[in-house]
Amino acid sequence: MERFVIIGAGAAGITAAQVLREFREEDVITVISTDEQVHSRCMLHKYLGHQRDAQGINFVGADFFEKNNIYHLAGQSVSKIDTQAKTVSYGDGYSTPYDKLLIATGAGFFIPPIPHFREAPNVFGFRDLSDALKIDDAFAKGKRVFIVGSGLVGLDAASALCERGAEITIAEMAPRVMPLQTDDYAASVYQKVFEERGCRFLLGIGATDAVVDGEGNITEVILSTGEHVPCDFIIMAAGVRPRIQIALDSGITAERAIQVDDHLRTSAPDVYAAGDCTGLSGVWPDAMAQGKAAALNMAGVDEVYEKPYPFKNTSNFFGVTMLSVGRLDLTDGAEILVHKTPKEYKKAIIKDGKLTGYLSLGDISNSGLYLHLIKNGIDVRGKEDRIFRLTFADFYGINEKNGEYVYTV
Amino acid sequence: MKRIFIDPAKCDGCKSCTLACMASHQDMAHRQGSLTELRQAIYALDLTDPATQSRNRIVSDGEGGYRPLFCRHCDIPDCAGACMSGALQKNMETGLVEYNADKCAACYMCVMNCRYGVPAISPDRKRMVKCDFCQHLEEGPACVRACPKKAIEVREV
Repeated sequence: MERFVIIGAGAAGITAAQVLREFREEDVITVISTDEQVHSRCMLHKYLGHQRDAQGINFVGADFFEKNNIYHLAGQSVSKIDTQAKTVSYGDGYSTPYDKLLIATGAGFFIPPIPHFREAPNVFGFRDLSDALKIDDAFAKGKRVFIVGSGLVGLDAASALCERGAEITIAEMAPRVMPLQTDDYAASVYQKVFEERGCRFLLGIGATDAVVDGEGNITEVILSTGEHVPCDFIIMAAGVRPRIQIALDSGITAERAIQVDDHLRTSAPDVYAAGDCTGLSGVWPDAMAQGKAAALNMAGVDEVYEKPYPFKNTSNFFGVTMLSVGRLDLTDGAEILVHKTPKEYKKAIIKDGKLTGYLSLGDISNSGLYLHLIKNGIDVRGKEDRIFRLTFADFYGINEKNGEYVYTV
Repeated sequence: MKRIFIDPAKCDGCKSCTLACMASHQDMAHRQGSLTELRQAIYALDLTDPATQSRNRIVSDGEGGYRPLFCRHCDIPDCAGACMSGALQKNMETGLVEYNADKCAACYMCVMNCRYGVPAISPDRKRMVKCDFCQHLEEGPACVRACPKKAIEVREV
């Protein structure tokens, strides 16, 4: 009988636990997490917006651990891994042995070195349910919110709070909102729907300093323009960093992220890593895929994990939907095609006969194949004139044995 | 598990499957009559309602042939492998990729991740839309029953 221990209960950790149970019916599986309960990070805005309770953002059933006979040590943080003795120390001096260990500690929000920001008690991240709980408490006391960063996380927080009557200011260093996923036009559409709901954007502007009260709480943010913006609390959405402290403290090789090979093995024997802590990608589907691949390897199946294609995302704010894949920023020597109607905006970037970027704003139905075309560098020569109407019919193939589709290129 | 097998050579592009799918899934709340009968009745189909969406598509190959695009309920489903709410799940007993709209957060990662471009979005942008194998019909998928050429048929895999 083998003992599997998983640190972290996010997309990677939970997927790994599930897959391990499928392959190993009798073995002992333990999940240790600082999270008190399983929740989807991507749905925190539903909780903060009071549209769902904590159980409503659980991406597995409430009976997941019981049903799968998995131990869950909730609300416990791991202090050290002894890779020689093969034990994990957690909580108040407890320790548990492992035969195979998975580190799936995810990523934590990053606070840039702006004076007072790192110490102030009213500066919050928006990554975990515990962050959302803190914001909820702070919001009960004051409704003036300053958000640093207008990426998906910052806009998620803004969308949740503006519908609850917040007075929101969002500072973005880049000249447009959601700079990684948008172009100028798509960004302007999103900016408008947030402004219509009372949000104020400060674009191309950073926070450089702050005014604090006697308890160290930030009461005013000072901008690079010199303007002072009064606020009750701050949400940091200026990027994340892989959580690697446990790895570093345990002698497992990590720099910005935990180093893994193509089987998601770390430098320590029988220790694997998956999800955001590997720094390979920051999107949910890739974390799930890594959790699965790591679990298969831990269960003794030889599973090579291919590097993910990280430039992809979708967004849906107030019914404005967007799909953004590939590199919209790399346009040198590329052909740029645009389709624009009052309801839709689409943009394709083609280089050397291959799609390198694709943006769709509006009805994004059936557009998943564009990610596949970009990720796999599939030739679209001769199809430029109907690039926005491509379907799988253009690459049609059927596996006669099982009836599934296969790409023909 | 069961899967709808496709023989594109037999398809003559009549789109009876598309209409049958729309009829099978339209909102029947404001209508009269037996649900099953109405769902089967193409005559009850409200084509002016944007919510009347088909889950399948028939695309011309430009040379007189047709290529039916249907959800495969894949063995390893890209859509469920991207779902961050738990709304999309592969049912290991039936093999179907099932959707729970109450759980769905309409993030549309499923739309992005399906390499065959099958998942669609609802007009109100609150749900995703894909084949449910007409589990509400005893007789099985409406599209299959509507096909006059037997270009699509349910087979055990």
